[in-house]
Amino acid sequence: MIKFHINGKTVEAEPGWTVLETARHYGIDIPTLCYHEAVLPSGACRLCIVEIKDGNWSKLVASCIYPVAEGINIYTDTDRVRNVRRWIFEMLLAQCPASADIRALAKKHGVESTRFSINNPDEDCMVCGLCARACEEIVGLSAISVMDRGVHKKIGAPFSRPTEVCVACGCCVTICPTGAMRRLIESVRETPAVTLTPLAM
Amino acid sequence: MNHNPKIGIFLCKCGQKIDPMVDLSHLKKKITSEPGVECCEILPYPCLEPGKDLIIRKIRETGLNRLIIAGCESRLMLKKFERQMEPEGFRKGQIDIVNLRGHVAGVSDLTRAQKAEKGAKLISAAVAEMIALHPSIQQNVVITPPPVIVGGGIATFSAAWELAREGIDCLLSIPEINPDGILTHLHETYPGERANYPRLKTMIANVLASPYVRILPPGELENLAGVTGEYTLSFKVPGDPMVRKHAAGTVIACLDAELTPPGPEFGYDGKTVLCQTDFEDMVWNRKIPEGNTVFWISDYESGQPENAPLSARSAWNIGKHILENSSKSRVVILYNEQMALPVTAAERAIGRRLGLIWVPYDKSVRPILQAGYVNFGSINDHLEHELPWDHLVLSPIRKIGRQSLHTAKVLGIVHEDSDFLGMHHARVRPEMVGREESYLAGSARYACDLNDALNQGRKAGKKNAEMIQKSKTGRLFIPQVVCVVDTDKCVGCGQCQELCDCGGIGVADGSGGGLPRVVDPMVCTGGGTCAAACPYEALTLQNNTNDQREARVAALSRQMADDEFVAFACSWAGLPAADNAGNLGMKYDPRIHIIGVPCLGQLDPSVMARAFLDGTPGLLMVGCSPEDCHHSFGIDHAWSRVNLMKKLFSLCGFDRRRITVAHADLNKPEEFIKTVESFTKVVASLGPIEKTPENQSKLQSIYRLVKSNSRVRLLLSSGLRRPWEKTYRGDQRFALQYDREDFNAALKEEFVKARLENVFMGSGKQSFNIEELKTAIAEEKSHVVSQLSEMVSEGILNIRYKGGKPFYLMSAN
Repeated sequence: MIKFHINGKTVEAEPGWTVLETARHYGIDIPTLCYHEAVLPSGACRLCIVEIKDGNWSKLVASCIYPVAEGINIYTDTDRVRNVRRWIFEMLLAQCPASADIRALAKKHGVESTRFSINNPDEDCMVCGLCARACEEIVGLSAISVMDRGVHKKIGAPFSRPTEVCVACGCCVTICPTGAMRRLIESVRETPAVTLTPLAM
Repeated sequence: MNHNPKIGIFLCKCGQKIDPMVDLSHLKKKITSEPGVECCEILPYPCLEPGKDLIIRKIRETGLNRLIIAGCESRLMLKKFERQMEPEGFRKGQIDIVNLRGHVAGVSDLTRAQKAEKGAKLISAAVAEMIALHPSIQQNVVITPPPVIVGGGIATFSAAWELAREGIDCLLSIPEINPDGILTHLHETYPGERANYPRLKTMIANVLASPYVRILPPGELENLAGVTGEYTLSFKVPGDPMVRKHAAGTVIACLDAELTPPGPEFGYDGKTVLCQTDFEDMVWNRKIPEGNTVFWISDYESGQPENAPLSARSAWNIGKHILENSSKSRVVILYNEQMALPVTAAERAIGRRLGLIWVPYDKSVRPILQAGYVNFGSINDHLEHELPWDHLVLSPIRKIGRQSLHTAKVLGIVHEDSDFLGMHHARVRPEMVGREESYLAGSARYACDLNDALNQGRKAGKKNAEMIQKSKTGRLFIPQVVCVVDTDKCVGCGQCQELCDCGGIGVADGSGGGLPRVVDPMVCTGGGTCAAACPYEALTLQNNTNDQREARVAALSRQMADDEFVAFACSWAGLPAADNAGNLGMKYDPRIHIIGVPCLGQLDPSVMARAFLDGTPGLLMVGCSPEDCHHSFGIDHAWSRVNLMKKLFSLCGFDRRRITVAHADLNKPEEFIKTVESFTKVVASLGPIEKTPENQSKLQSIYRLVKSNSRVRLLLSSGLRRPWEKTYRGDQRFALQYDREDFNAALKEEFVKARLENVFMGSGKQSFNIEELKTAIAEEKSHVVSQLSEMVSEGILNIRYKGGKPFYLMSAN
């Protein structure tokens, strides 16, 4: 048993648990987007940040990938956490302004507008790569992946063409935290034939 | 394996996603008293590490051997739970997930308590299924005899090389044992591959010299019997009456396609208008042709457009060789504009240096071959241009040859009505795909070049080696969910073998009809439409049996109110559509109760009949659209079975609308909701099937008929669409004729019989006269009399005479 503190409350965890898992087990809410129980965590969206305080020194970590340790002091709702989370929300609102899910979550945390410039007002994907991880880990395929780098990063199938590797199981659509995959899957799966076999032989 | 079920149910709060909407403590109270339930816990997150540790502690404390998690989508979470619980002895089928979040919590405006009631119904149905589960004993597969590579394709050598490298003995059946001899004929199946010959020759020599490789004396493969680990292959030598038999652990078929020149309609004459195969022979073995050589990539015109890049590759290889060795030659490759050039930029640069010209032509203008010239429509200026030629080279027609077809037929891997052997049309997860890759290699599988064929062989060799190594260390197990045949019941009608799309069903020994079938568990993918189609209940899908599904649907149907109904949703369309509707917070009528199944094709008609017998007023089957079924033709099979139910409903006077197939799309949850709303209205307007003794007896008869009447089941399964068929009995071309001619009449006869049987079995009375029977089932006298006499001749009933009038009674057996 490892004992440590979340928001001043003493919690117990087993080795191998993460801070987020322990917090959820004790009913402490930490917002997440790129985290899903079915796949391994990747710490992409940084929304799950928490503050670790040690005397006058403190640091911010992504709780979904931070392993528990004896005696650490975790705070999930300090000014610093709230401030950074607000920045993250503002950046997300600039990256994918068309996503209703993100807008709703941001609003819940008091963020309704962004100071950053919006490149594409129709964008709804935040490129967290959760869909690609689901495709690989759950389905066992890699029909979709994260393509390109930096600001050009996007989700799709090789050469942005419908691929026969995709079995159209819809795991990516179900797991997508922003709802973007509903649009994107149409460019990944091979659409079923709409024309029926003609009757005359 | 412990057959005494101890079920643990874990209810997920899922943070704030389930708990505030569903009264979990009420739900817990309701299901704890269910039989077989050992414990029921409410956890914040059973899917996270803390939850997992708690579940494992519970398993160890109370000896649980079945788990039901009520949380979210089983499509996403099941794999994780199965992986986590494997060390605790849980295997496929022993864990089930009920989607409380997506199907109950958010999708309706019911109160917390009402939602708990709905959740309890769904969970208790899952409990009933778990109780009906009889987990199979985990069985080792032992592979002692060596793998045998048959078919004689070039992939033989790469497969054998891979096996020999792993130190595994293998037997080869090849017609030729001289490396040069093998290479002499190779251009007939793989034209334009001379550059690879030296490398290939070394490999062939290495294989033939390897101490692990033995060559079988030449002979023709005549029969294959048995299953993985204990195959027997019979070879026949022409002129020798003795059949030679070899034991084989695994079999790899290496089959090459047959390349034939296109017919005279392309002007083929074998002298100046040639095919790539004979042209290559001419270039290398006789003399490099001088003057103009035009390669016409004629695959689009000969009806095999998918092979155009292959033909273009070999044309490029041959053309390059000509230009490199003769200064008096010119080479043009004429190709359809629809084909993407299969050469790299560097190769195009080489082509330019050598003067090899690629000429695309307009796809709407067919090139015409004249003496000395070929004309084509240009895509640039739309003029008709002419190319002069001295030798015109056509693309070959590629398809599986007679010899390969024979071998494939013997091995049971042939797909009728197709040019190639590649079998899997199923679009499913990799773990659900059969092992085609490990037993089939070469260009007869699909059109490919030499390199691809050798790679396929290498892959097959590697996979077989892996399997054999695993079996040596005792780590090779039969997959959990596969079909098993009860050989006492199997009459060898072969319906399952025809319907099977994975090639896993064969004959135990011998050949011909009427022999009991066996399932090769290492090939079976557990699709299960074969099991649902068996007329004699001889085939079952172990760990996912028909009894389990019947138990589940019965348990759920029993709890349906007058306007509630059960729905089956397939995991490729209906279930994801429902899950996504739940995730998006859409609202729909809560009277639908969804049971997820891998494919609707798995559902035996007896499951549908059972649902009505146990009281659901309606049954909705939500599957893929017919052109988009992920398992060959599961939705078509479900359609045929639903139609059988509809016909029976007509005979009973029930409304045919009570059972319906619906088509959904995973990405259109709003359409799924329309389906639900519409069907709910239908069910609500129809109301329940009144539970009068007469109706119960009718439903009982339907259930008995579809479950165990082998005549009806045989008629039904012979009308199901085969994996290779473009049309089937229920198709518009045949449906009306099929109904009129045989199916409806037979159904009517058998239904009257089933009703009569029910009268005899349902009452305490021993014997009946005709009048009594007539009134009991409300049928015309002539029908009753004819069916009674048939039942007497079948030995089901005995006839006695009292005062000159016939009385019927059930015979003793």
